[in-house]
This record gives sequence, C-alpha cells and structure tokens, in this order.
Amino acid sequence: MVLIVRDLVAGYGAADEILKGVSLSVGAGEIVSIIGPNGAGKSTCLKVIAGLLAPRRGSVTFKGHEIAGLPARRTAALGLAYVAQENNVFPSLSIQENLAIGGYLNPSTRRRRSDEIMGQFPLLRERRRDAARALSGGQRQTLAVAMALMSEPALLVLDEPSAGLSPVAAETLFETIVAIKAAGVSVLMIEQNALDALAISDRAYILVLGQNRQDGPAADLANDPEIRTIFLGG
Amino acid sequence: MIETILQLAANGIMSGAVLAVAAIGFTMMFAVLRFPNFSLAGHMAGGAYAGWIANTMFGLPLPLALLCGFLVAGGIGVASDFIVLRPLRRAAPITLAIASVAISLFIENALRFGFGNDLRSFDLPLARDWVIGWLRLGPQQVQNAGLAIVAMLILFVIFTFTQTGRAMRATADNAGLAAVKGIDTEKITRLVSFLGMGLAGAAGVLLGADTSIEPLLGLKVILSVFAAAVLGGLGSIPGAVLGAFAIGIVEEASQIVVPATYKGAVGFVAILLVLSFRPSGFLGRRQT
Ligand SMILES: Nc1ncnc2c1ncn2[C@@H]1O[C@H](COP(=O)(O)OP(=O)(O)OP(=O)(O)O)[C@@H](O)[C@H]1O
Ligand SMILES: [Mg+2]
Repeated sequence: MVLIVRDLVAGYGAADEILKGVSLSVGAGEIVSIIGPNGAGKSTCLKVIAGLLAPRRGSVTFKGHEIAGLPARRTAALGLAYVAQENNVFPSLSIQENLAIGGYLNPSTRRRRSDEIMGQFPLLRERRRDAARALSGGQRQTLAVAMALMSEPALLVLDEPSAGLSPVAAETLFETIVAIKAAGVSVLMIEQNALDALAISDRAYILVLGQNRQDGPAADLANDPEIRTIFLGG
Repeated sequence: MIETILQLAANGIMSGAVLAVAAIGFTMMFAVLRFPNFSLAGHMAGGAYAGWIANTMFGLPLPLALLCGFLVAGGIGVASDFIVLRPLRRAAPITLAIASVAISLFIENALRFGFGNDLRSFDLPLARDWVIGWLRLGPQQVQNAGLAIVAMLILFVIFTFTQTGRAMRATADNAGLAAVKGIDTEKITRLVSFLGMGLAGAAGVLLGADTSIEPLLGLKVILSVFAAAVLGGLGSIPGAVLGAFAIGIVEEASQIVVPATYKGAVGFVAILLVLSFRPSGFLGRRQT
C-alpha cells in the first residue's frame, strides 16, 4: 500500500470533530475515490493527508513513513502531490512559471519534465507565457494537475478536480487521470460526479458524517442498489 | 516656463528613481507579509549610516558604500523580523504595522545614541553641474539615479529568471499553495525581509549621498514611499516603480504652485486620492 490512513480524528477548532475515525488505503497504481454527502469531511480528510491540518489522533503512513502532522512541504518532498479544489494555481505567474514551481523540489529534472508535460498538454505549451489567471476553469484545473505531475509524485491527491467544469472538460480530465494511473502514479480523489468517478476508479470509500460508511471495488459500489439510490442519484 | 517644467521633471525622475528603490522594498514585503512595514524608515536610516561609515571611514566609493548599506539594512531587517515580527506572524495587520513603527523608533534612537542628531555628509567628489540645453543636472543625482536603476534591473532579473525569485512571487500569490509545492515559506519570508530592507538601506545611502544623513532620514520620506506603493497598487513591483516616478515628478512639480516645504503633502494627497477613487492603485489586483 502506498497510503494507509488509520482511525483519523481531526477538526478545525478545539471542540469540533469533523473526522471521527476515518480509515482508508491506496495501493500502488490504484485510483481510489472518496464519495459522500456535502460536509461529510472528505476535503478535511485530504487536508490531513497532505499536511495542511494536523490530526488529533490516528495515523497516516505514506510509503512507509508516518506523515501525520508533518507540514505540507515535507509530505510534498516525500512524493505526495495534493491539488486543492480551489486556488490551486498561482494566478500572477505564467503557466510556464507555475509548472516550474510545481517542480520546485526536483530542480535537476525540471526542464525535462516541463517539456514532457507541455507535450502531453499542448494547450499549456501554446499559452505558456500567459498568466494563469487568464485560464478558463477547465484549463486551470488541467494546469493544477500538470503542476502536481511536475514533482513526479508517487501519489496524486485530488479534491473534486471536475468541480465547475463542463461535461466535456470533465471527461477530458478523467481521461488524463486514467493516463496518470497508466504511468504508474496512484490517485486518491474526491468526486461529486460519483458515477463518473466510479467508472474510472479501482476502489471507493463512502464517507458520511466523518465516518466510513462503506467501501469496496468501484464496480460493486456502482451496482449496489442501495448505494445507487442514496448516493448516486438512482 | 517650459524650461522650468522640464527641469522639474528631470529632477523628479531622478528623485523618483531613488524613491522607487525603497518603494519596491516596501511593496515586496507587503506582498509576502501582508502588512505595511513602516520600519522601512528606520532601516533606511540604518543603511544610510552603514554606507556613510563605509564611505567616510573606510574610504569606499559610493557603489560599494551602497552595497554596505544594503547588506547592513538587510541584516537588521532579518533580525528585526526574527525577534519582533515572527512571533506575531498570525496577528492582525494593524498589530504588525504598529510593531513595525516601534522597530523604526528603536533603530532611529539607536542611531541617535550612536551618532547624535548632527547632519552628516558623504565624502564625495564635488563636480560642476552638467548643462544640457536648458537642463542643469547634478552629476551626483545622475549617478544616484543610475545606481537606483541598476539595483532595479538586478532585482528584475532575480524575480523573473531565478527559481528563488519565482518562489518569492509564488509565496506572495498564495503562501499555502507555495508550501504544498515544497517551498519553505518561512525561509522565503526571511529572504524577502532581507531584500526589502536591504533595498531600503540602499535607498537611504542614495538619499544621503544626495543631501545629508540623520537618524530621521527615513521618517522624512516614508510617506512618499508609502504613497508610491499605494499609488502603484500595494504588492505590485512594477506598480511601485511607476508610483515612485509619479510621486517624484509631482513632488518636484508641486514647487511651481506651492512653496517647497509643502512637498511632503504630495504623498498624503496622493494616498487620499488613490484610496478614494482607485483603492487597488495603478497595477494592483488584490483588494486588501
Ligand atoms: N477551515 C475550516 N474551518 C472550520 N470548519 C471547517 C473548515 N473547513 C471545513 N469546515 C467544516 O468541516 C465540515 C466538513 O467539511 P469538508 O470540507 O471536509 O466537507 P466535504 O465532505 O469536503 O464537503 P463538500 O462535498 O461540500 O466539499 C463542514 O461542516 C465544514 O463546515
Ligand atoms: Mg470538499
């Protein structure tokens, strides 16, 4: 397993407990989705994994290292790339510069990676001198994922990557995610489009009120009648 | 009349260039630390004295004295950040601004204690003004403006072409995201304090070389520096440069209509106008 999360308890204030004992894991080369209602604590869970929020209890093991409570730049240095749902690019930097910062921790391979990534996403090459603020929602999301790939991560952690995208843009993004998996990178993502997410995922976890509700192979969950009615809109 | 205007414009451009050096320091620190650091005034004076010592006691020429002023003020900047501001990192901007005024008072009084209130002058070769057409230019002012422009070009290269420069801009854009990308934002903050206050010190040396130095040298121009940064849009470096030239020129031009002693009011009026009509300044984007 690349990532093992055990009995995570976390919250923002002193009193609130948003996560009440969440466990999950991601295997090498797997796409794992987290789905669940609004406010379930999905984003909070990813923030703890990325190192933006220290958990109160529980453990997060990444490639054998205990990372719970480590600051974000340390988890990044270990090969974990986190992409927030919003504000995930530097608006005043050009696209090229955003990619360079994406590869901040790998100075020796930065140039090569940047070329590869611009080859993979021709749009980014075309607009490499434009400020990131000029991009549309879908383009910005592509850039955010591309920046994460610059660091050659072992695990890509995505918070609702398709939020706000047109169906076409979302489909392109899902294709990108499948390609990333094919390149050997594990992916953990939250998705509102649960059915689309399950279609490309190996496994999934359903989170409700800060606790694990159910998990299993994505195909099983997608076909479970109860889950379909409650979480997948029929 | 046209001759007077041209002459004042030329003077304004030269004083604007010096102002710009300090205004860049002010605005880059604002961009990363998100509060107006008024201790820039004290650091300007500290740098000016360091440059003056280098020049009058060690006989170093102005460019090297400038470098000394930069390094010493930068060092004081890192120290004052570490001792006073770092523990307040999460405090409200107004708290930090007040703490920065206290730092400035501390530096000014330390200088007064060490060197007294006397006006001091740099040891610079005297030269006759250059006369070009109707224009009369002081070689020292021209050299100062040239050094200011060189400093700005170096900074431009750092910000645009080095990964550390990009990291500073990225941290200014979104410090949380910068940390996610592996940037040590606390280290960047230290570096920004060093560069920002170093620029203040360099500007202090240039001002001192133009006239003379005293512990309140920075205090006397901080309003103009602040006005330049606000006018350009707080946090925008090109904005601060534009703002500084605008303030420099208007301050000089104001002498046509009001006595020179009212020059200081220009910055004040400029701030009022910007805040009333375009709070984000020429090139500012953030509303803060
Ligand atoms: N920065 C914060 N400070 C305080 N409370 C927060 C913060 N962020 C989230 N919360 C609270 O934590 C709870 C869980 O939020 P979280 O964002 O983890 O949910 P989510 O499952 O990602 O929901 P969504 O599907 O809407 O994105 C919510 O009640 C939210 O109000
Ligand atoms: Mg969320």
